[in-house]
This record gives sequence, C-alpha cells and structure tokens, in this order.
Amino acid sequence: MLEMRHIRKSFYGVKVLDDVSINLYPGETLALLGENGAGKSTLIKILNGDYSRDAGDVILDGVPVHFAEPRDAEGAGIRMIYQELHYAPELSVAENLLLGRLPHRQGLLGWMIDWNAAREQAREALKLLNVNIDPMTKMRDLSVVEREIIEIVKALSRKARIIVMDEPTAALTPPEVQQLFGIIRDLCKQGIGIIYISHRLDEVFQIAQRVTVLRDGKHVDTRPIAEMTHKALVHMMVGRDIEERAEVRKGTAAIQLGDRLLEVQGLAKTGAFEDISFHVRAGEIVALFGLLGAGHNILTQTIFGIEKADSGNVHIGGHPVQVASPQDAKRAGIGFVPLDRKVNGLVLGMSVQKNITLSNWSTLAPFGIFRPKKEMHNTRHWVDKLGIRMAGGIETHTRYLSGGNQQKVVLARWLEANVRVLLLNEPTWGVDVGARSDIYDQLEALAAQGLAILIVSSDIEEVLTVSHRILTIYKGHLTGEFMQSEATQENLLHAAAGGTL
Amino acid sequence: MKSARNRSLAEIASLVVILTLIIIFFSQASPIFLTQRNLDNMLLDITTVGILAVFTTLLMIGGGLDLSVGSTVALCGVVIGALQGTWGILPAAAFAVAIGALVGLANGFLVTYVGINPLITTLGMLSIARGLAFVFSDGLTIPVFDSEGTQFDAYNTFTQFGEGQVFGIATPVFIMFVLFILGLLILQFTSYGRAMYAIGGNAQASQLAGLSVRRYRMIAYMLSGLSAGIAAVLLTSRLYAADPRAAPAMELTVITAVVLGGISLAGGKGTLIGTALGVLILTTLLNGMKLLSTSTDAQNIAQGVVLLLAVGLDQLRTRDINWTAWLRGSRLMPDGTKAIAKGD
Repeated sequence: MLEMRHIRKSFYGVKVLDDVSINLYPGETLALLGENGAGKSTLIKILNGDYSRDAGDVILDGVPVHFAEPRDAEGAGIRMIYQELHYAPELSVAENLLLGRLPHRQGLLGWMIDWNAAREQAREALKLLNVNIDPMTKMRDLSVVEREIIEIVKALSRKARIIVMDEPTAALTPPEVQQLFGIIRDLCKQGIGIIYISHRLDEVFQIAQRVTVLRDGKHVDTRPIAEMTHKALVHMMVGRDIEERAEVRKGTAAIQLGDRLLEVQGLAKTGAFEDISFHVRAGEIVALFGLLGAGHNILTQTIFGIEKADSGNVHIGGHPVQVASPQDAKRAGIGFVPLDRKVNGLVLGMSVQKNITLSNWSTLAPFGIFRPKKEMHNTRHWVDKLGIRMAGGIETHTRYLSGGNQQKVVLARWLEANVRVLLLNEPTWGVDVGARSDIYDQLEALAAQGLAILIVSSDIEEVLTVSHRILTIYKGHLTGEFMQSEATQENLLHAAAGGTL
Repeated sequence: MKSARNRSLAEIASLVVILTLIIIFFSQASPIFLTQRNLDNMLLDITTVGILAVFTTLLMIGGGLDLSVGSTVALCGVVIGALQGTWGILPAAAFAVAIGALVGLANGFLVTYVGINPLITTLGMLSIARGLAFVFSDGLTIPVFDSEGTQFDAYNTFTQFGEGQVFGIATPVFIMFVLFILGLLILQFTSYGRAMYAIGGNAQASQLAGLSVRRYRMIAYMLSGLSAGIAAVLLTSRLYAADPRAAPAMELTVITAVVLGGISLAGGKGTLIGTALGVLILTTLLNGMKLLSTSTDAQNIAQGVVLLLAVGLDQLRTRDINWTAWLRGSRLMPDGTKAIAKGD
C-alpha cells in the first residue's frame, strides 16, 4: 500500500538518506531499525511531510504523492504517534479525541457544544479498539499506555490507514507493552499498516513481521523477522559484532571488590520510599531494578541532594555525609547522570568541551580564571577515552551530538570531576546499540579502576547485562537482591512486581 | 560548531553594516553629525547606557533581566545629593554605589530565593527606587557642588569623575571602556562568565552539575545594581546636580541596545561585542534624530520599533523557518508538482 523508493536527503551538504527504499503491506507491522543518526526519523519525517525529499518517490496505492506539510499526510491517512504525546491534560478523553470538531447543538444554541453527542461519538471511536475507558475521564488521570491508546483511537477515528509509532514503549511497563502489542495486532487484523520504530530488539521480534535496517543513511536490508536472529540484527545495525556481554562475563573470574564506598542506611522519604539500606563497594556495579514509579529514580535524586530525605543517612567512603544539594554531593565525590540528558544533563547550546569541564572548575579555573591549555587537554583525554564522536571537534555544541555521545559527555563530566561514586539514571534510554555497548564497556572499566557504580534502570536486559549485583525495588521498598549469576528475567520481574521471595 | 560560529560572525557583520549605513545617512543629512564636538558629546552621552549595558549583558546571558537600572541611577544620584552636606561628597558617592549594589542584591534575593519572576521583581523595584528618589529629594533637583566652600579638595576630586580626563579621554568614557574590557575578560576567561552562559543555557542542568546557580544569579543582579551606582556617580558629577527624574526609561534603552546586539531574552548566548554595536547603533540613531530636530516623541517611537524589530528577528532566527518553502506558498513542491489535496 505504501512504497518509498530511492529516497535521498541532505542537510547542509551532509547526506542523511542515501537511496533508501521501504515498502509496507496492509495489515503488516514493519519494524524500522537503526542506530541513532541512521536516518530513521528523517525518513519518517519525509513521509509525514515535515521535510521535503531531494530525490525519490513516495507511492501510495500505486499513485505518486507529495506531502508538503503534515496536514497533507494526515489527509492521506498517514498518522504519526510520537514518543512524547501531544494532548491537553486537563481536558477529557472525549474532548481530546474530538478536538477541533466537537459536535454542536442545533438551532439557536448552535454555539454550544452538544456534550451528549460528543460522549456518544467518543464512545463509538473507542469501540474501534474495544477499549474500556470512560470518555469523560480527564486525560491526565490515564496511564501512559492508555494515553497512547487514545492517540491511536484518534488516528483511527480520522481514517488513518498507516500508523507510524516512534518508540511507543519507551515509558511503558512490561504488562503495558503487552497491552499495546494486543492493540497493534488488532490494528493489523483491520488491515492497517504499522511502521514500528524501536531500540528494543526483543519487542521487534515479538511484534513485527518484517524488519528494515538502516545504517548511516543507507538501506542495509529488509527481511522477514522469522529469518533473523538477535545477533544478526545487531550486526546489521552496527556493522560489526557486539559480544554477548553477559555470556562473556559469566565466564570471567570474580571481580576484585574493595571497601563500601557508598552505604545507605534506613533512608526514607514519605510517599516515595521507606527504610532503604544497601551498599556499593569500590569496583562494583550494582543495578537498582524497578518498574516505572517504583521509587528508584527519586531514591538516587535523594542521594544526590536534589530531593530531601526524611530520615536515614548516607556514608561515602566510610564517612557520614550530609548532602543537601548537588554541590554537597559533588564535594562528597558523588556524580549523577540524570534521566533526561537534554533537560537535566547538558547545556545544549554550549560546546562539548565546556560541558565536560562544567563540574571541575575548582581544578581548571583556579581563582576563577580558566587555564585553557589544561582544559583542552583534559577534554581531549575524555573524548578519546570514551570515544565521543562529533562532526566539528570539541567546540561542537552538544545539541548536534547523537543520544549516545551526549550521554558520554555527561559521563565524562563526572569523571573529569574525579568522583568516586557514580549514580546513573536509565543510562541508555534512547541510546543506540553501538553507543550502548561503548557505555557498558566504560562502566566496567571504571568499576575496575575502583569506582562504585549504581545504575537505576527499568530495562531488564540492561540490568542483566551490566551489573554485578541487582537490587529490586517495588513501591518504595527493596524486595530482592540477586548476584548476577542467579538473576533471571523471571525472578527479577517477579521481585520488581512485588512478589515475595 | 562551525556553523554556529559563522552565524554569530554574520550577526556581528550585519550589525556593523547597519551602523555604517546609519552613520552615512546622518553624515549626509546633518553637517554637524561628523564634527569632533558632536562625536565627543555623543561618546559622553553613551556612557550611562554603555556602563549599564555591560552588566545587563552579563545578567541577561545568565537568563536574568533588570528593569530597575534607570530608577536606581536616579535613586543613587539623589542619595549623593542628600548626603553630601552631612557626610561629605566622597563618602556620599561611595555610599551611593553601595546603595546601587544593595538594590541589585534585593532584586537578586527576590528572584532567586523567593522565586518571583525577574520581570515582576525588577518592575516593582523600578517603581520603588523611583519613588524613593522623589521622597529623598522632595521631588526637587539637588545641586551638587561646593555651596559652602568647605570641601574644596573633595569636590574637586568628585568633579573629576565627570569632567576630568584620563590618558586624554574623558573620565566617564574611560571608565566605560575599562568596565567593557573587564566584562569581556569575565565572559571569556573566568568561571563566573562560563557560569552565566551555562545557567542561561540550562539552569537545571547547571544545578545538577553542581554549580551554585542561586549564588551566581544573585551576584549578577548585584553587579547590575552596582553598575547603576557607578553610572549615577558619573552622571551626577557631570551635571553638578542630582535629579530624581534622571535616566528616564533608561532600562528600555539599555535592553533595546543589548537585544539588538544579539543577547537572547532566553539567555545562554550573545557577546559583549554585539552589545557594544547595539549601543552604538541605538545611540547614533537617537543622536542623529536629535540633530535633525526630531521630537523626543519620534525618538521614543523609533526606539520602541527597534526593540520590537530586534526581538522579532531573534525569534525568527531561532525558529529556523523554511523561507523558501514559505515563499513558495508551501503547497508547491520544489519540483513544481502540486501537493495532494486534503481528504484524498
């Protein structure tokens, strides 16, 4: 039903898409894979009319089409569902569904909205997917997956025949992911074509029939998913083999653990978490695994001094520390890689160099005056060591870096600040496979140098891959502790879902 | 990024072009414009705006805003006038500078610790400072010279601030240059300048990187007030008088010049070179209009238009509008085919 043939696109002379072709059949889910910067989103934006193409054809039902703006694409039955949803949180489901075309009363009262009709229309629309949501609920009272479903319903009610989903599961819990997949399968049965973009390969194997892989703006291959293995997919995306880390590590000798660098005793914060006690030794990578909202994010924020604890204490290197602010935490030798690097991690309009050195002015700018040579030298050191890749050298603004390289910049900042304890919050969200592997390598190397590393994650593959020891958290309570050798997807999920051991 | 640097160079270049055009225009329109005397006067006239603009630039790069600088100049001047008899002129002048810093500190405290929006905070302070200036002066212009003939040396020194010369340059102009160079050095080479760019670029990330964002911001507001104090001393000395009506709507001129020079209202970017050009363009325009005996009303209108133009251009620049597509009416594709109609 849809074909994009030989699409080419350059920005400022840089080829972003070079002869890329995809096709989509009715009732099919096509997974679109590739590392960040591979050209997935550019391709999708061309389809949606956000960008124009330099060359190539878009063919819909055998007819060449041109979309000058998103409205045109929508008119043709193509609908995007982005990672960040756009909705009015204070309005009801019905209002969000019917926004811009709410039914009005008849006659003199024509300026008034006919709420009964609106409710009925919304109910009809929701029936398309057999979902049980009251159309009068406020949007903000829905769960994330319910909001996504509303977005899909909205697309359907506007006669969408092709739905593009960009990382729809990034913020979903495993049961919610399954719920969404149920909906996607329903859509396919109704003959709707889905283009599914994700970084999570296991999902692709579950939901897609075929997969198209892009790398560096080029079309690598399109294959039925049944012919593929996990390893082969990664190879296609990255262009090289990435070792099966967990397998390799299980074989290596026990790591050398040092003293307890980070020790948390009885930490509590009303409404967030209670009686949390654990430690991380020098040389150790501990993962704190929980589903979204389990309290693990706020726990690291508390250790770093962003949030205030009600009781309990934190010891760094055996000494009790009072951490009331990030400045205190930095002084105590704690670094923090936050959840949303673009909002909380980077100054996007500042260079790679200035971002890397942002937390180490005490050394690089004695008496408040920078020592440019030393600053540049140290920056180069981390850029080389972490393999930070950018187009224009260390003066490049971090805005122009890919997600993985941005994350490395944030990591480099804390290494430059010479911290001993590193807290990482979902360190590889939105980071592609290759950069993810780099980051894991670095974390292992850092641990081997004697840092204590605590990773907070909702990504079970990540947790199983990179950590030596795993703690599970559920509704603000620690519910389990596993050595890597004894952890499995099943027992971790069981503990993180509140099951007792 | 190469392109970012090129873009800021292009901005500077376009400001230089605008300045040149204005100078050419007025030198043709008025025979007095290019005379040594007018240029000297103009430079002297710039000093108040120029000094304030340096620290407003620092503050705005850090994401702040100070509307109270004009009123603070008046208040500090009146403080000198009111205290000259009892304290002596030089202590009174020093105290006025301290009052300026104190006003800035109050602004900073209200913005960073109490959390009031900077626009509202400094708008309130604008009103308070102007009001206090009228209270302390009973609404009258206070003469500032050695009326009793008892402090000859002190007044002599004080007068030097406004009328003296350093290295053959009028003292206020010299002080403005020194502060400008100081500002350049701060922004380019110190952690304080770096902090302004970082905080203006992303305050939250700066906080999480361990910077004391509040303290840096407080200091920026304090410096802004301090610069108003310094400007007040120079102005009072030059005019031999302290006027509660001094520096009317000066904040508007300063912010117009700074924004024209490429400082974004959102913070995080801009340079002092741009600010210097912005100040020169705006004051040259106003001076030229004055020479052509345009009314002050027309000058006010011109200044407002320049402000809106500058902010509007800043908005358009940051939005990355595809002008070619827009000019094409956006429904025609580059290859000339028509976009398909809705509902197809």
